[in-house]
Amino acid sequence: MRKLSKKLLKKKITENLVFRDEEFEKYGIKLKEKVDSIFGRSIAIREVDCGSDNSIEIELVNLTMPHYDIERFGISFVASPRHADILIVTGAVTHNMEIALRKVYDATPAPKWVIALGDDACNGGIFRDTYAVNNGVEDILPVDIKIPGNSPSPIEIIKGILALMDNIKKQS
Amino acid sequence: MSKIDIDIKETFSGKIGFHKFAEYDNQVFIKIDSENFSKAISLLSEKDFILKLLFCEEEFESTGKFTLFYAFTKAGHDSLVVLLITINSLSIESISKIYPSASWQEREISDGFGIHFENSPDNRRLFLHEIYPENFHPLLKSFKNKKIVMSKENLSCNQDKAYTFREISGEGIYQIPVGPIHAGIIEPGHFRFSVIGEEVFNLEIRMFYKHRGIEKLSENNIPKDVVMISESISGDETVSNAVGFCTAVERISAENIPERGKYLRTIFLELERIYSHLGDLGGMCMDVAYPVGAAEFFVLREDVLRKNHELTGSRFMKGIVCLGGVNKDVEKKKLKELDSFLNKLLQKFVISLRDIHESSSIEDRFETTGIIKHELIKLLNLTGPTARASGSRRDIRAQSLYGAYDKIDVSIKSKFSGDVQSRFNLKAEEINESINIIRKLILKIPSGNIHAEIAIKDGFVLSLIEAPRGENIQYLHIKDGLIQRYKIRTASYFNWQVIEHAILGNIVPDFPLINKSLNLSYAGTDS
Repeated sequence: MRKLSKKLLKKKITENLVFRDEEFEKYGIKLKEKVDSIFGRSIAIREVDCGSDNSIEIELVNLTMPHYDIERFGISFVASPRHADILIVTGAVTHNMEIALRKVYDATPAPKWVIALGDDACNGGIFRDTYAVNNGVEDILPVDIKIPGNSPSPIEIIKGILALMDNIKKQS
Repeated sequence: MSKIDIDIKETFSGKIGFHKFAEYDNQVFIKIDSENFSKAISLLSEKDFILKLLFCEEEFESTGKFTLFYAFTKAGHDSLVVLLITINSLSIESISKIYPSASWQEREISDGFGIHFENSPDNRRLFLHEIYPENFHPLLKSFKNKKIVMSKENLSCNQDKAYTFREISGEGIYQIPVGPIHAGIIEPGHFRFSVIGEEVFNLEIRMFYKHRGIEKLSENNIPKDVVMISESISGDETVSNAVGFCTAVERISAENIPERGKYLRTIFLELERIYSHLGDLGGMCMDVAYPVGAAEFFVLREDVLRKNHELTGSRFMKGIVCLGGVNKDVEKKKLKELDSFLNKLLQKFVISLRDIHESSSIEDRFETTGIIKHELIKLLNLTGPTARASGSRRDIRAQSLYGAYDKIDVSIKSKFSGDVQSRFNLKAEEINESINIIRKLILKIPSGNIHAEIAIKDGFVLSLIEAPRGENIQYLHIKDGLIQRYKIRTASYFNWQVIEHAILGNIVPDFPLINKSLNLSYAGTDS
């Protein structure tokens, strides 16, 4: 019992992490406002890798980690396209992923939007006009916004999502 | 004369005629006649040689159409011996029954060049999926690289052509198909489980969904332009692959790079290992449903990525390595800051690690999960932390063939149980060691130029790099100043195949954990 109470009274091992990215916060709060007004509360994103080098995936995972924690702003990454509002597609879209990508798009309920993330996804990048890939996501699906970069940083990604929100607002 | 040279003489002399074709300080190229081929392979296998790499090049020599390269090494040896077989026909005997690690590589050559491997247990296509037309062989010189348009029939995913998986059938056995698109933010690949109850009875993986044709893309380019292509093989192995490529060019051209350049390359290589391993440790915690522990490692990784950006201008250190050295110097003040940054990182890391080790529920999930037997190392050519956690002591850094590893002692870590726990602990120790290496290098780094001009010569060479995931081998052939053939083989290519063995007898929910503990790159495998 004494052991237990000692353990309970022990100083917390968790620490307050001191990192606040003012710029990221600024865009995040803006994004939150937009998401609230257009989508009610939140948007669900499904990521589909169609031939990126894996650094973009690392950055997207980073967005959900403590430094960024994008879920605060109403953005969540979901496990199935059937739950998604937005598809984020990375890579120039290899021929081997072409059929799967079409199926994912068809499985996503309308209304839906597509983000092409990274140089390869925007126009094929260094792989443009080679045998194994398409020239970007546009060859396969209608793309709503392109976020270039090799690879785009978390802040560039959130800026891109914000720009998409602006476009959607204008359209509606 | 190197140890492997003597070994090869002992293996072949009196039995098979051979002649030395070319030699570098750690590699010998040997030519044998095609009629002696099968005998040579069985002799090598008897002497416990490990197949490191198998690939094909067209028009390597004027005498034959295709040349096949079989690179071997032996446990405890530093050098490589490469057998060259020139064939004029479109078929050769398969060696995948003797060397299972040859299977994927033979299928890859069949796809790329249309060469048939006789008596092979598996002749399915590999990197060209059903969508590609029949008789399409992109690596042939006669095919000029251009965008290809798929026919309607191919796009409709014809069922007759569908890929057949090894499926185990019987009472109570059912299949779980997973992928190519997975539930998380990860890369695409297909897994076909045959399961009894919860236990995995058989697994077959199918990769190459991300095949981007990097090898063909590199051909007929000047080496300087291919550095960037080598960086895009795998986004979190950029420095390793770029250093591997540049080292190959520098060795062909017989040029030395300035000392400061070597030191900086090594620092970047080790930073890459640190952030890569931190991501792994976090991932493993995540997959046993311990997000608090995972978050601590991911926070540390983000700190390293930010440091990378500060030092090189890119979070993944893209564009920093160039032919002859590095593109950007790190000033003295920055190096000092890096030293204290690493010191702090180490302190935080030790605390995060202690929390993990104190949790019995984590130990419970980690221990005895996904055991990789020591015997598989040779058969499947496993390298890196995956092999070292199962008793291997092979680490290319100890051979000091590149970077500044000859200036310091690198302590090679090794574990024996081969389960997730030992891979976790090994990676944690390697992070520690990498921090040590960088701090030692910072103390010793000389001043001077960071890169030298390289006068490109013609030739061919293999280069080996110890990337975070294991050995990345690259073969480079330059002719008339242009790249004739660039072959990339990342460690993930071989390490992926062991997952089919590691999962057996484990339950399906442990698959993500085992997968994460092996840290496999889809992009690096599919290239």
